[in-house]
Amino acid sequence: MNSRASRFLAGPYILWMIGFTVIPLIMIIVYGLTDSEGRFTLANVAAISSPEHLKALLLALGLSLASTVICLVMAYPLALILRKKNVGKGSFIVFIFILPMWMNFLLRTMAWQTLLEKNGVINGILSFLHLPNIAVINTPWAIILGMVYNFLPFMVLPIYNVLAKIDDDVINAAKDLGANNWQTITRILVPLSLPGIISGINMVFVPALTTFVISNLLGGSKILLIGNVIEQEFTRGSNWHLGSGLSLVLMVFILVSMALMAKYDREGEGAAF
Amino acid sequence: MNDSKLKRFFQDFYLVFVLIFLYAPILTMMVLSFNTSKSRTDWGGFTLDWYAQMFESSSIMDALYNTLLIAFISALAATILGTVAAIGISSMKKTPRNIAMGINNIPMLNSEIVTGISLMLAFLAFGISLGFKTILLSHITFCVPYVILSVMPKLKQTSRYTYEAAMDLGAGPVEAFFRVVLPDIMPGVLSGFLLAFTMSLDDFIITHFTRGAGINTLSTLIYSEVRRGIKPSMYALSTVIFVTVLALLLITNFSSEKQGKSRGLPLTEAEKAKRRHVENVRKGLLVTASFFVVAAVSFTTYRHFASPASNELYVYNWGEYIDESVIQDFEAETGIHVVYDLFETNEEMYPVIEAGGVAYDVVCPSDYMIQKMVENDLLAEIDFDNIPNIDQIDPEYMERSKAFDPENKYSVPYTWGTVGILYNDKRLEELGVEPPDSWMDLWDPRLSGEILMQDSVRDAFMCALKPLGYSLNSTDPGELEEAKELLIQQKPLVQAYVIDQVRDKMLGEEAAVGVIYSGEMLYLQELAEGKDFHLEYVIPEEGTNLWIDSWVIPKNARNKENAEKWIDFLCRPDIAKRNFEYITYATPNRGAFELLDPELQQNKAVFPDWDSLQDAEVYQYLGDEVDSLYNELWKEVKSN
Repeated sequence: MNSRASRFLAGPYILWMIGFTVIPLIMIIVYGLTDSEGRFTLANVAAISSPEHLKALLLALGLSLASTVICLVMAYPLALILRKKNVGKGSFIVFIFILPMWMNFLLRTMAWQTLLEKNGVINGILSFLHLPNIAVINTPWAIILGMVYNFLPFMVLPIYNVLAKIDDDVINAAKDLGANNWQTITRILVPLSLPGIISGINMVFVPALTTFVISNLLGGSKILLIGNVIEQEFTRGSNWHLGSGLSLVLMVFILVSMALMAKYDREGEGAAF
Repeated sequence: MNDSKLKRFFQDFYLVFVLIFLYAPILTMMVLSFNTSKSRTDWGGFTLDWYAQMFESSSIMDALYNTLLIAFISALAATILGTVAAIGISSMKKTPRNIAMGINNIPMLNSEIVTGISLMLAFLAFGISLGFKTILLSHITFCVPYVILSVMPKLKQTSRYTYEAAMDLGAGPVEAFFRVVLPDIMPGVLSGFLLAFTMSLDDFIITHFTRGAGINTLSTLIYSEVRRGIKPSMYALSTVIFVTVLALLLITNFSSEKQGKSRGLPLTEAEKAKRRHVENVRKGLLVTASFFVVAAVSFTTYRHFASPASNELYVYNWGEYIDESVIQDFEAETGIHVVYDLFETNEEMYPVIEAGGVAYDVVCPSDYMIQKMVENDLLAEIDFDNIPNIDQIDPEYMERSKAFDPENKYSVPYTWGTVGILYNDKRLEELGVEPPDSWMDLWDPRLSGEILMQDSVRDAFMCALKPLGYSLNSTDPGELEEAKELLIQQKPLVQAYVIDQVRDKMLGEEAAVGVIYSGEMLYLQELAEGKDFHLEYVIPEEGTNLWIDSWVIPKNARNKENAEKWIDFLCRPDIAKRNFEYITYATPNRGAFELLDPELQQNKAVFPDWDSLQDAEVYQYLGDEVDSLYNELWKEVKSN
């Protein structure tokens, strides 16, 4: 292609990005670093160290780390199984994992309330089987469950996509050279699927860290995560400057994960779709 | 690999386990869509009514329409913008290309809350009022990266020589693009479109921040209903969508499995399978999306012809706060077309009216907020000559309204009520606790895990200020600090902070006591009939909040006379009675009250004696500074 001329084709989108990605980010920085009279201040960012904010951040970090680990542990074997099943069977199984995403995620999360409640469906089944009831709803455990539930497909899909591209010959070669199953997984498959894993971790950790919906719905509004704090600063109209300042703190974590992505997934192989 | 049978069994078992995990909530939702009872926790028998109601509900149909339209337009725009950009970016030199791709990745990697907030700040800073177009712009913004992501790899595979060959053979650049390059990258373009469509469809957070008042997508409508209790017709709609998607996927999957032959070079079995897989995914999604596109387009046409109107009235009301058939009757009787919008909280409504982006003609805020609006000069005086039915309103309520509208110039009462404690008599007996009569009973350690508190600042502080002997309009930092400490003390005993979910949870026997608005009583008692427990309502002895929601006319209203017709219509006794029966919040309308069953008139929970309300206070607007002090203290309670 005539590369000089076609370069200009990117023009409209570059303008778009400046208008709708770069300028908005600058706005959040401006808001975060000023007070209501427009004077420069670091107070909004420093506010993260106040006990109630720090607690919300640490709790969010803890819960999102836990759910990322659980997602990874659940997703990797699943992706391996799917890889094996998929050959010759078309794509229906993969669909099964994308399909829930066409249901509104708020409704899906709400439905967990019905399942988990004290007199909910799960406890109904447990009582019927004469098993002890669970008391999970409105605790951090319910939030972790909600995170794992909502974000599991985002871990499964990138890992599966990378695994599906690995040639069977590579695995057979490893076996021929005397590797057992475990060694094949840890020495061959895991290193080769690293871009998928990193991308999966990103796609679970970042939304889990910043969620306010799941904690609201499954935590009974008793558990305040950093996402809830920010959301309330904006929607209850109290303090947009503080909300922006706290968002800037969150962006540090996002930058770290972007850097990780850039390091391990140069070719965009780990794309989820 | 040689699988032992046991291993394969474990693999299948694990797969089934994950599938149950993924589909259990969806199944639950489907079951609830056939439930006669409105309550989430209560199975009342099989019905298809919710499916009928779904089609009749204008709020659901509007939201569906918005969702589909936004998804379609933004996916289309993102696809065009993204495809062109991908071609441009791929022919850039390395450094600018990396920069461009880096920025392109930001909306994808950034958390949605930050993206949403940053866009909202930018729109407001540049004076773009929030509404349909801001949602659209935001959706395009986060959709383009997905398009670029799926087009880029295809571009890399395309040989540049084909394009040059086409030019050598006499094609112009445009023709060469459409006839040579585009067919090559078409699969990437299509899957980009589908991805964009799906992402837009499922988005909540970014829409939440960039939507204006009165415009809902399905996500934001559901979120507002979460607080007030989700209507089963929403489950019905989801079931319909889900079954449609599933059916389309199944059909395409089976039909393409039969004709899975590939053209061109001979391929290995595995390659064929993989190619077929990609093909299937694309086809399935494509059929699904085209189905929704057709649905959206036919819907648009339908609405285009269905919406008339020059003579309009913009109404801004709480969700679930009117019998929808009353709106239709008003339209039929007056020929005025009603544009009906919802808000969830007073705090959400206020900035909308203040900004004046949409000129609402008539709004229904609560007492303290009316005071704030009066003080900030946002309301127009009502011309009571146009409202002859005003004498149906009991003078007692006009008197009480003077707390926030001293000369009765700006507001006409619509509903009123108190805040009190609802308890489950059976559960309390089991716990050996006597029925509550004081707010301090909500601090009883025997009720640990059995208490539902209100998740709103003023109501929560009221529960603590009243037993301390302070006014619920206290502005004294020391008093508020004491109240905060008391609430922190209570927190370990609280099961959850909720708004309208109190209803469902009390009906499902999830909790023994809950703080609730008196208007919910009738509804609850009706549903609890025939159960082995009673739900009783008490106003604690220390006094409580007496609240009044009234109709007001904003200063920037364009159809003030229509607004007055509306208020007059709602003051008509038969109409007020219908609204009361639907929303079950007490009516200040004398005429409507007289039309009610004597039994209902005697219901002290709904219509308490004035004598019993001696200690009840109406909330007042305390000024911005005190407001933010309340918010600050509440945050400390919540994060503790």
